Amino acid sequence: MKRYLSLYLYFVRFSFSKSLEFRMDFTFRILMDTIYYFVNIMFFKVIYLHTPLLAGWNEDQMMVFVAGYLMVDAINMTLFSTNMWYLPFLINKGDLDYYLIRPVSPLFFISLREFSVNSFINFLMTAAFFIYTILQLEGPLQFWNVMLYSALLFNGAILHVTIQMIMILPVFWTQSSRGFVDLFYSMGLAMERPHRIYRGWLRIIFSTILPFALIASYPAKIFLEGLEGKDILITALVTGSFWLLLSLVWKKGLENYSSASS
Amino acid sequence: MIQVTNLSKSFSSHVKEPGLKGSLKALVKREKKIKEALKSVTLKIDQGEIVGLIGANGAGKTTLVKILAGIVHPTAGDVSVLGYRPWERDNGYRKQMSLIMGQKNQVWWDLPALDSFLLLKEIYQIDDATYKQSIEFLADTLMVKDQLKTQVRKLSLGERMKIELMAALLHRPKVIFLDEPTIGLDISAQKAVRKFLRDYQKEWQPMTILTSHYMEDIKELCPRVVIIKEGEFVYDGALSDIQKLLGDEKVLSVTTAEKTFKVNVPRLELARKTQEIFEKDEVLDLNIMDPSVEDIIESIMRHGMKRS
Repeated sequence: MKRYLSLYLYFVRFSFSKSLEFRMDFTFRILMDTIYYFVNIMFFKVIYLHTPLLAGWNEDQMMVFVAGYLMVDAINMTLFSTNMWYLPFLINKGDLDYYLIRPVSPLFFISLREFSVNSFINFLMTAAFFIYTILQLEGPLQFWNVMLYSALLFNGAILHVTIQMIMILPVFWTQSSRGFVDLFYSMGLAMERPHRIYRGWLRIIFSTILPFALIASYPAKIFLEGLEGKDILITALVTGSFWLLLSLVWKKGLENYSSASS
Repeated sequence: MIQVTNLSKSFSSHVKEPGLKGSLKALVKREKKIKEALKSVTLKIDQGEIVGLIGANGAGKTTLVKILAGIVHPTAGDVSVLGYRPWERDNGYRKQMSLIMGQKNQVWWDLPALDSFLLLKEIYQIDDATYKQSIEFLADTLMVKDQLKTQVRKLSLGERMKIELMAALLHRPKVIFLDEPTIGLDISAQKAVRKFLRDYQKEWQPMTILTSHYMEDIKELCPRVVIIKEGEFVYDGALSDIQKLLGDEKVLSVTTAEKTFKVNVPRLELARKTQEIFEKDEVLDLNIMDPSVEDIIESIMRHGMKRS
């Protein structure tokens, strides 16, 4: 564990020295993400011009949820997105080779190698926005709730990247994962909607087989309507199952890896 | 020790005719093509040995190396390297093994080599003393001391290959797979790499498998060669015995007004064949030679061991 931590610190250090070399690109990316945040916040603001309540949440409550999923997005952009972008190419061009021969988990290596410094600055922005939104809520704020919420959001980010990877890995067989990845992004929008707008079967689906509601919407319950023990249980079970599924697909994929080359 | 027993590997792909029409056809109906990259090969290599693996493109050299390195799973058969089954990718094995591919780079492109080395030190858990010693020995013998702090992408191809070699050998592997380490290098860089590999082998005695298209590499480094043709080993033995294999053959090198060509002829038919050539063409020059190692290997690669 300590070893992996120090390896990760190397990744971060390398990424820092790399990204600071390209200043224009660096600032531009931060700006783009900031605009994306702005658009998302405005989307819900506009809805609340027409209705005082959406799925039982008022505007202040909804903003807590919005800040939450923006934070998850920023965590993903910071830790995983560059790596996920490269992953299909690593597999179908046969560049996975050097990751497979190292005495280190290749999954750790390929999913965390690139730390995105510009997105980290965006993450700080979303965190600040989040603090602002919870301070707007009525009633006293409990320290443990904030801690639990952070833990669940982080779990949400992990769950998000796990699903994403499961959708990318079919590239071991198909040589191109465009279809699946596009599907992932369109379904991923479900993460940006509060789970209470879905009813019946749809709500069950979004908290189990396509667990996008567990990423940001369930955690937000802590501040909005109270989180139940079974919510945490479902989150843990679903995250665990997706981890298992990922390691299974990974293992099967490697058996099929042909290491194209030369 | 490396023990390969009846190892087979086949890849399946589908055939697609060229053009859009072919693509549409392939969408509906696919013809599956199985390519047998390795057909039940057996091989044994001892500690300290360096073996040259020779074969044409697509003969199965790289596939064999990748199975031994644990990257590719075999279809059938078994392998044991230092007591491990490579594709189970046990850390105990991966710490003692190294793979160098002339066509793929492993060091961080945008960083100075020393940064990549520090990361490798952490990955392989190399202690400080060994690390320092390794860096010194490798940088000295490869003569790249001054390039270690330069970003790798700014180095020449030859310098980069040397850095790759350093990166691959920092942890003092007991098994080394070299897949075309001199590809694309100019003559002097090739020589430097070759000399280094020879010195390294002498000093550390690892088990090494080397594949290369350059006969020079093989001739200088590998006392033993394995020739692979369409997934099968057609020769496994001493390089020096290869010439004996075709001991009673001579090579005729002929220059006529139109062209120059070489032809292998059994010794006893030499007179008859020479006469035949003189009758057919206007011969400007004719030499009778012993076949060179290159010629023999080329002929084995093309026709196999059975000769007409």
